[in-house]
Amino acid sequence: MSLVFDELGRPFIIFKDQDKQQRIRGLAAVRANVAACTAVSRALRSSLGPTGADKLLQSPDGDITISNDGATILREMNVDNEVAKLMVELARSQDDEIGDGTTGVVVLAGALLEQAGRLIDLGMHPARVSDGFDRACELCVERLQQLGVPLERVADAVQPEWVRAAATALSSKVVSRHSQRLAEMCVRAVEAVADWERRDVNLDLIRVEGKPGGRLEDTMLVEGIVIDKDMSHPQMPAEVRDARICILTAPFEPPKPKTKHKLEIESVEQYRAMQQAERDYFTAMVERVKASGANLAICQWGFDDEANSLLYQNGLCAVRWVGGVEIELIAIATGGRIVPRFEEITAEKLGRADRVRQVSLGTTHDKVIVIEGCPNSKAVTIVVRGGNKMVVEEAKRSLHDALCVVRNLIRNNRIVYGGGSTEMACSRVVHEAADSCVGIEQYAMRAFAEALDAIPLALAENSGLPAIETVARIKAAQTESGNTCLGVDCLARGTDDMREQSVYETVHSKQQQVMLATQLAKMILKIDDVLLPNDLSNGM
Amino acid sequence: MASHRPGAMQVPVIILKEGTEDSQGAGQIISNINACEVVVDVLRTTLGPRGMDKLIRGSDGRVTISNDGATILRLLNVVHPAAKLLVEVARSQDEEVGDGTTTVVLLAGELLRQAKAFIEDGVHPHTLIRTYRAAGRLAAQRIQQVQVDVAALRTVGDTEATAAEYQRTLERCASTALNSKLIARHKHLFAGMAVEAVRTLDAELDLSMVGIKKVGGGSITDSFLVPGVGFKKTFSYAGFEQQPKKILDPKVMLLNIELELKSEKENAEVRIASTDEYQRVVDAEWNIIYEKLDAIAASGAQVVLSRLAIGDLATQYFADRHIFCAGRVPDADMQRVAKAVGAAVQTTLTQLQADKALGTCACFEERQVGAERFNFFTGCPHARSATVVLRGGSEQFLEEAERSLHDALMIVRRTIKFPALVAGGGAIEMELSRYLREHSRRLQGAGQLIMAAYARALETIPRALCENAGLDATDVLNRLRAQHATDERALWCGVDLETGDTGDCWAAHVWEPALVRRNALAAATEAACVILSVDETLKAETNENGGGGGGGGMAGAGGMPRTAGRRRPGRGRM
Repeated sequence: MSLVFDELGRPFIIFKDQDKQQRIRGLAAVRANVAACTAVSRALRSSLGPTGADKLLQSPDGDITISNDGATILREMNVDNEVAKLMVELARSQDDEIGDGTTGVVVLAGALLEQAGRLIDLGMHPARVSDGFDRACELCVERLQQLGVPLERVADAVQPEWVRAAATALSSKVVSRHSQRLAEMCVRAVEAVADWERRDVNLDLIRVEGKPGGRLEDTMLVEGIVIDKDMSHPQMPAEVRDARICILTAPFEPPKPKTKHKLEIESVEQYRAMQQAERDYFTAMVERVKASGANLAICQWGFDDEANSLLYQNGLCAVRWVGGVEIELIAIATGGRIVPRFEEITAEKLGRADRVRQVSLGTTHDKVIVIEGCPNSKAVTIVVRGGNKMVVEEAKRSLHDALCVVRNLIRNNRIVYGGGSTEMACSRVVHEAADSCVGIEQYAMRAFAEALDAIPLALAENSGLPAIETVARIKAAQTESGNTCLGVDCLARGTDDMREQSVYETVHSKQQQVMLATQLAKMILKIDDVLLPNDLSNGM
Repeated sequence: MASHRPGAMQVPVIILKEGTEDSQGAGQIISNINACEVVVDVLRTTLGPRGMDKLIRGSDGRVTISNDGATILRLLNVVHPAAKLLVEVARSQDEEVGDGTTTVVLLAGELLRQAKAFIEDGVHPHTLIRTYRAAGRLAAQRIQQVQVDVAALRTVGDTEATAAEYQRTLERCASTALNSKLIARHKHLFAGMAVEAVRTLDAELDLSMVGIKKVGGGSITDSFLVPGVGFKKTFSYAGFEQQPKKILDPKVMLLNIELELKSEKENAEVRIASTDEYQRVVDAEWNIIYEKLDAIAASGAQVVLSRLAIGDLATQYFADRHIFCAGRVPDADMQRVAKAVGAAVQTTLTQLQADKALGTCACFEERQVGAERFNFFTGCPHARSATVVLRGGSEQFLEEAERSLHDALMIVRRTIKFPALVAGGGAIEMELSRYLREHSRRLQGAGQLIMAAYARALETIPRALCENAGLDATDVLNRLRAQHATDERALWCGVDLETGDTGDCWAAHVWEPALVRRNALAAATEAACVILSVDETLKAETNENGGGGGGGGMAGAGGMPRTAGRRRPGRGRM
């Protein structure tokens, strides 16, 4: 911070804590910011693509996460630099909106900034660089729109083309070996809950439950609801057909007033009366449930053994301690109503399901309740199995990505081919446009084109291919043949044509990547002054 | 230390308490000016379409990226008393017109810089102040002479052509305000949005009826305007999903009541003598809440909003009766809804008068925006209102977008109220500068030089515009000066940053409300005059400071009144 002296030569303070603040300004600030962001993107670069490596991250409290998902890695990385944090938010924003392509967007933004840094070193004004990037971004979005191929829905049950798109999202993850099966599962799950009228999918209706143990192959899709609970009494039947479900938010116990209260008992008779009253409550409650015609009670709260055995004796099945969210899901799926008081139970309020069964997983005594054949079957559950907790967690994240891809297809069914092919196609377009651009923005546009090449370069690098040679060869082939489907053959399948390899990505996701990365690059390039209070630990 | 020594042998007479800082005289004025210059230098690079942003992390760890002069100054925590005046000027401009905060600080700073030479030459500050004031008045008059009145567009019949032209005019003004911001690339989208939002309001143009909501994720181009009130879905209990999510012509009830099964009094204790009474106490409690719920259901309300919690029991009760409910609705949103649907917030449900308590609108709907869900009330009959939903990559980006949009909204509002425009891009400043310079030649005495200095100070705006764009400022300025001096028609000649040359800014549609400029000039002149008229500063020793005055900036600032931290409602920044 600049110091100013008064007429007596004393320095005077203009800003609060000015001697404790760090300040970088001008081009130095731009350079420092660019360096911070490229460092973040470099860390993610090796995770890109089907052959990308995973990162192992340990959180401060010792939890270990193994992930390949850009947003997850950045979140766990605990980035401290203010500008680098923007990169973390960038990945999150892509994750929130699209769900897939989080690594790609960070790598692209890093590449853009790296290129911009080069131009700024050459003396170009950051605002002019931004202008050029903007123009190039518009060209890219337009080009992506042209390249997009609509994937029509076929009458078939499982859309083979859609499965391929979901499989592409899964191919870079730990579950890639089972990508085909899991992708099918994702497509079926999304199709089951999709709202075709609004062309949207409420992903909350797809629950992804993880259960360590078993193998990834044991992962299953349940067209219904799975709750991680068991029947309250071990002798209750493990399967209820044609279930009529009573959904309760009241506990099986004498009702308690919310106001503080005291019951004074002065004699043995009174004590007996109280005990009798308590017992009456239980019988009355169970009677009420039974009278309504229910054969299964699902209760948000617990109930003690006395009530439990009463329920069993009356031939009722019961599940206790079911969370609020599950209660709601069950109510929606079975068409039942949530009942807050035993007095209000009526036959109309019961939910219905074809089959409710208790399933044991593996040899452990882990049991889950599966509710199937609900009238409003708008809820499905995927139960993920796997060798250990970390694998299950990563598999859950991967499935989320794949589900998002299918959802995006429902929203907008256009796809482009992956493997870096579209980036190269866009790069070529931007390059051509740069030549006919008047003004120094053309340099920024060329830089943008170079940055787009970072994606195929990283893919090739991660696959152990000679990066520059590979990309140069494919680019040349694209220009020569005009085939925009040529990309990097990461899995060594013997062809560069991504259409043959069926590597699909959604147009929407790609466009979003380019737009978000450009927006972030512009935002960072516009900062020329960074004011930070010094580290609090040594400042105070 | 202010201690006077009347004689060599005498004890020094201590007038001021130990620790009080004191400085005075011409030197003091100059050091004040120096301090102001430091502040101005921080802001200089943010001016104009090629201006840069500042990234500031406050002591609370929050990061702000901004281009808005008032925001930056507030976050800088200026403690120097004279420099603080500049901060106040920026704030008042922000509150008065909402835009042009950087301009006003730059102008004030430049006026002071020009004054420095005169002070050093021994010109009495009062002479300077007098001439500055006169120059300020002349400039304001000149703006009124040259401003272009667009009021005619609004009043000349409601033909389609003039209406469209009026719309375009407003949009151009909003675009000019957005030019320097991060969202400049999408200024057409946002300018249109700002104009539409302001024009949906009724004649009073109360900007608090325009809500700005930020939803992370998505692209900035996904931002949209809803002609109605909207707020984020509040926390909900089980059963919420079974409620209706779209109601046409709903009856809306607003409450300030907790709808939860709970003990009525905190410290009450019920003594129950027998088990029979027990059930009655339980029933009594249930009845209290059921009475409330029944009253609501009986009134025919279809949408129930409460400032306080709506519990799970009530949620399920409403779900059974196809009523939508939301609890813990933020206060500002509640008031907007109340105004828009014409419902009064009820604090009790006894003797509920359904016809008076209930409001209505054309459509209530829950909509998914990115990862969030929003409740929208559209087609409100009572007060017209608008909600802008901003989308974008990061929190900082959204906040800056909100600030920028706010500026644009203010400008549109100003333009509607005072429909007179001038051209930006330094054009109006060059014109005023020429006018004052010519006028100065007719003055006698020191006034001549001082008014010329004022004229020179005005050139700081086009100069900063050029410098920020990396143009040769001196060269461009010389050309502009020549054009303005020789050609009457070159009235609106300013800097064209696209080509790096001079050009007609009016033709390029860089339009600004004349009021913004007039206010900026008046505020800058006034600030400069105040700082020039101060020739002594006394700074009391702050309490925490144990006398280590030198580097104790941190402790010394602790006791300063935190005017800079004052928040304005409705803008939601920190």
